[in-house]
Amino acid sequence: MSPARSILIVFLPMAVLTLLLAPWIGNGLLDLSVLTRPGAEDLDAIIFWEIRVPRVLLAMLAGMGLSLGGVVFQAIFRNPLATPFTLGVAGGASLGVTLSLFLGISFTVLGISGLSLAAMIGAITSITLVYGISRTTGNSSPHSMLLGGVAISFFFSSLILLFQYLGDISNTFRIIHWLMGDLSRASYDTVFQALPFILSGIIITASLHRELNLLTLNDDLAASYGLRVEPMRRVLFFAVSLMITGIITVCGPIGFVGIMAPHICRLIIGTNHRHLIPASILFGGTFLVICDTIARTLATTAEVPVGIITALLGGPFFLWLLVKK
Amino acid sequence: MKSAEPCLEVTQLSISMGSELLLDTVNLKIHEGERLAIIGANGAGKTTLLRCLLGLLQPDTGQINLYGKNISTLTRGNIARNIAYVPQVLNPEIPFSVHDFIAMSRYSHSGNHHGLIATDNNGKEIADTMMQRTGIQHLAHRSMSTLSGGERQKASIAAALTQQSPILILDEPAAHLDPKQQDSVQTLLEEISQSNNHTIITVTHDLNWAASCFDRLIGLKNGRVISDSTPQESITTENLAGIFEAQWEILPHPRTGSPMVIR
Repeated sequence: MSPARSILIVFLPMAVLTLLLAPWIGNGLLDLSVLTRPGAEDLDAIIFWEIRVPRVLLAMLAGMGLSLGGVVFQAIFRNPLATPFTLGVAGGASLGVTLSLFLGISFTVLGISGLSLAAMIGAITSITLVYGISRTTGNSSPHSMLLGGVAISFFFSSLILLFQYLGDISNTFRIIHWLMGDLSRASYDTVFQALPFILSGIIITASLHRELNLLTLNDDLAASYGLRVEPMRRVLFFAVSLMITGIITVCGPIGFVGIMAPHICRLIIGTNHRHLIPASILFGGTFLVICDTIARTLATTAEVPVGIITALLGGPFFLWLLVKK
Repeated sequence: MKSAEPCLEVTQLSISMGSELLLDTVNLKIHEGERLAIIGANGAGKTTLLRCLLGLLQPDTGQINLYGKNISTLTRGNIARNIAYVPQVLNPEIPFSVHDFIAMSRYSHSGNHHGLIATDNNGKEIADTMMQRTGIQHLAHRSMSTLSGGERQKASIAAALTQQSPILILDEPAAHLDPKQQDSVQTLLEEISQSNNHTIITVTHDLNWAASCFDRLIGLKNGRVISDSTPQESITTENLAGIFEAQWEILPHPRTGSPMVIR
């Protein structure tokens, strides 16, 4: 099957089907008639329209962004294990959010929440540091940037732990719960808060699919074909930070989607980013909706944070990937 | 016939990394259609010179003109339409089919469109023609990662030709290949250089190939050009001793008469 065809026949219907079915799954059977009663005051309608639908939408959006972030970083660093998480971008964003939770800051500038702003500043700080380190060592090869990113990621993680340790109990609990990666705060507000970030990231990245192909080759060769390698890398970095900012602010860091989804898509349709980008957006979204549906139905008394489910599925997959290699 | 204006002109080029001088006041004029080989020991500055010629390294002093224009003022796309590059044998982890890989070299011909639509309509035909010329059309749909080193190198050469740039720069194109694959890559390059008016600049450690197939040999030592002449004049015991600090005997090739290094 050609890549374009598998996107149309497999990935797209799968995503649409998941979007349509997931809101019906959960504790208690909902009556089909809730479909005709959006905004109604009864419990079934509220569960369906106010809780499950926005949650499924947010999971779809976050999954898309996480998966695409993985695709982009794996191309830039030419390493199948590179994601915004291994590279410290998510760590920076998480640190930003942790700090603002720790200090209890809350404000809104031009419709952007303080939390988003903190996440954005954190993400951009980590990128600047990775770039700064590779610049001062005179070696901006993907390999040394990868190492710099991993080091920064660890550094930020320990700072996050420090703030958890220093915080009072309620703040620390909020930080810990949020760091587990969780979609339970989903509402139409959070969907619309994340949407512009993720959408603009997707648009920028999708329009650069040829450049991403060139970057997977080798820097000198890509440059000799006419690509401005460094500026392009910076643009892509920025696009990924936008998406990660949008995601981290509303649902915390959700790991493994960015490794699993792109890898599976690559196995199915190849590395041409013209097809890989749409496929992994659709697959990543579908995957996270399914994981979240499992997370909220698995335990009857309380919900399991979705980050735990993706990690539980992702861990074994990761090992399989290593063994197969 | 060689035109009067050089296609590449290097003037007073110096570049250093830390305290180490990689290239030391290099001057070179390369004319259209010339076939030029750069020889020298490891660390002599050969690859650094190539990367400067490709506009990938910014020199500390001096400048490089490409058809009369300072290369550092040209866009990457502009350079790509004039100079194509064949790197040392590519790593096998290129995740594309041979055809896709070769078509990617048309990037600089697709205008400034960074959108979803490729604007380069005849790119596919040119890629097909070049695969035929390099004898790899039967590999078109194979993945680059399943090819032998020699086949991968031919795909690289096909990609460079597909770029349709008048100057071809190669970095040890036959290194790390077994003798048979070396032969086949070198024969292919000879065919290309004879049938086109490409300007060919290569770095090589294969002195006998350099002597038999190139018009001009540049000897580099410690970042300086210490010899620049025809193979007959370059491949002599004294000159090679100056470049490589080794004593080798030179004999004429029994058939072609070109000088051969006996180690």
